[in-house]
Amino acid sequence: MPDTTITTALEFLEKQLNRPLATALEVCARCGICAEACHYYVADPDPKHVPAYRGEQLRSIYRRKHNLLGKVFPKWVKAADLDETMLERLAEIAFSECTLCRRCTFNCPLGVDTPLMMRAVRGMATAAGKAPEMLVMLADAAIEKGKDPEMFRELFLQQIREMERELQEMVGDPTAHITVEREGARVLYVALAGAHTILPPATIFHAAKEDWTLSLYEAANYGVFLGDPNRAKQIAGRIIEEAKRLKVNEVVVAECGHACASLVWEAPNWFGETFPFRIRSVIELFADYIEQGRLKLDPTANPEVITYHDSCNLARTSGIYREPRVILKAVAQNFREMNPHALENYCCGGGGGLVALPEYEEKRLKAGRPKADQIRNAGAEVVAAACENCRLQLGELNDHYRLNVRVMALADLIVKALRFPERTSRPVESDCSELNACREIPSCT
Amino acid sequence: MTLFTITQWIASASLLFSIAAFSGMWWRMQRRASGVDRSVPKDSVARGIRYAFTTGMASWAKESTRLHMIGYLRGVVFHLGIFVGLAVLLLSPWLDSISDSVRWGAAVLAFVGAVMGIIGAIQRITERNLRILSTPDDHLSVWLVSIVLLSASVAVVSSEWLPAFYVASSVLLVYAPASKIRHCIFVYFGRLFYGIHIGRRGIVRGLEEHHA
Repeated sequence: MPDTTITTALEFLEKQLNRPLATALEVCARCGICAEACHYYVADPDPKHVPAYRGEQLRSIYRRKHNLLGKVFPKWVKAADLDETMLERLAEIAFSECTLCRRCTFNCPLGVDTPLMMRAVRGMATAAGKAPEMLVMLADAAIEKGKDPEMFRELFLQQIREMERELQEMVGDPTAHITVEREGARVLYVALAGAHTILPPATIFHAAKEDWTLSLYEAANYGVFLGDPNRAKQIAGRIIEEAKRLKVNEVVVAECGHACASLVWEAPNWFGETFPFRIRSVIELFADYIEQGRLKLDPTANPEVITYHDSCNLARTSGIYREPRVILKAVAQNFREMNPHALENYCCGGGGGLVALPEYEEKRLKAGRPKADQIRNAGAEVVAAACENCRLQLGELNDHYRLNVRVMALADLIVKALRFPERTSRPVESDCSELNACREIPSCT
Repeated sequence: MTLFTITQWIASASLLFSIAAFSGMWWRMQRRASGVDRSVPKDSVARGIRYAFTTGMASWAKESTRLHMIGYLRGVVFHLGIFVGLAVLLLSPWLDSISDSVRWGAAVLAFVGAVMGIIGAIQRITERNLRILSTPDDHLSVWLVSIVLLSASVAVVSSEWLPAFYVASSVLLVYAPASKIRHCIFVYFGRLFYGIHIGRRGIVRGLEEHHA
């Protein structure tokens, strides 16, 4: 490997060394109390899965440059120079052995932010060309498509028109519409690639009489998973510019953990501005509808034992743990918490972009064992999750660990429980998650 | 010049060195970029910071500390002993004017702190995870602090041991800024950033309710 690759990685680290990252690199006392906070460690109690151990791999490089003992007696503080093998190992750790779930940070008496360090490592690896190709490809594809959305607009609109007919049939109202990029709408809804993230929310928006329009773009941001602020900013920039152009009051993000967290908490800092519109998760909006009495719901439509998996990006990163429960208590007859839940919930193992990386499937499924145990112990028949990546992972855990559950989005459960004054029957007689299952549409990913 | 005076001067110089080094560290940290967070807060940052430095430190506030309650409390007592040891050092010129009961109280706390430190040092050798995580610096740091606390517990009630306490403290004070002991400065920032995160993002309410 040319020295420039190592230099690039180290330069990236130096550039990222702000106060929070420097703190994370300095403050750990190596007490090891964080071990059981990590689902990887719970699934496989190997010392290399202790979050502090992971952090130490980056700290050893940091200490070589920023610690007196690390400079003079590197072995005394386990400091080391970065080389090719080490960079590859670091990349492997950051991309496949940490889902950036923040559970360790919440459990650390000193507040060590290991995910922040792992994101820095991801950024170093990306800058040095050592990031997983799939993530780079997905991020770059999103950026490229964003440069010329007109190429996809017609096809997208055609798909939406078909979906609109389905919506009208479902709600029994021929005037129900799905508009795309309508200027002046109150809400700009940013979906994911798949009809299943458009049709159920559209049904709910219609029931709540929301003034909404659909974004041309997809909410997912693979630049975030790469730890690459430049790519992440370009991907988010398409939505930000769209929202500004359409003069909407709110940008509402689909049931997707990282997309919501990055748009709400990081995008304003990437762009150095507070946006002239609110950004929030569609879950928060749906909970508002329920609390405002804007939806007529019948919880008997969901009689199964339903448990809820808190997405790490929604709960520990974005503070969205109350709203899903408002929804579930309104739409389900037998909602049962798994243990632990909410802010102490275990990651499903699919976070941090891992579900998109087939080369790490074995590790990912193994790390999902604590979640599988939680679901089994809850005696659930249905697992609800408000994050697409979580749902994909939960679906695979269901097969792998033979959990015999159905995995559903919150919007699907709401739609099942919805009662329309125009109709006497239920809007969706079958499981709407199956009805719309991942029908890919060519939104601008 | 007596041994007492010489060691006292060395300890004073070491203390000044340590203060200067830690101040420099603090200053360098403050000079690092932190950036203005332009995201719209969901809740009170102050509330998050308050929680992070108070109830958020309680042994029942985190799953990890509930699971390792004894280990966590051992650490708490060890660090309490360190504060006592530092107080003994700072007040050592006036020890004669301090009442016996206070001195004996300090001796007990410093001694218990030292014992907790030694237990921790042994755990670093015997427990698999800690053994793999630890650097030679970690071992030396814990032993050094424990020895200082032991000497403090003796010196506070028996002033003829003060020179030994001063020598041990001097070694520690000079070594501390370069060692893992420097986390004493960064823990402030660690808890601060954690507090900002949970406050700003509306998480602290959930934590407070959960552990109420």
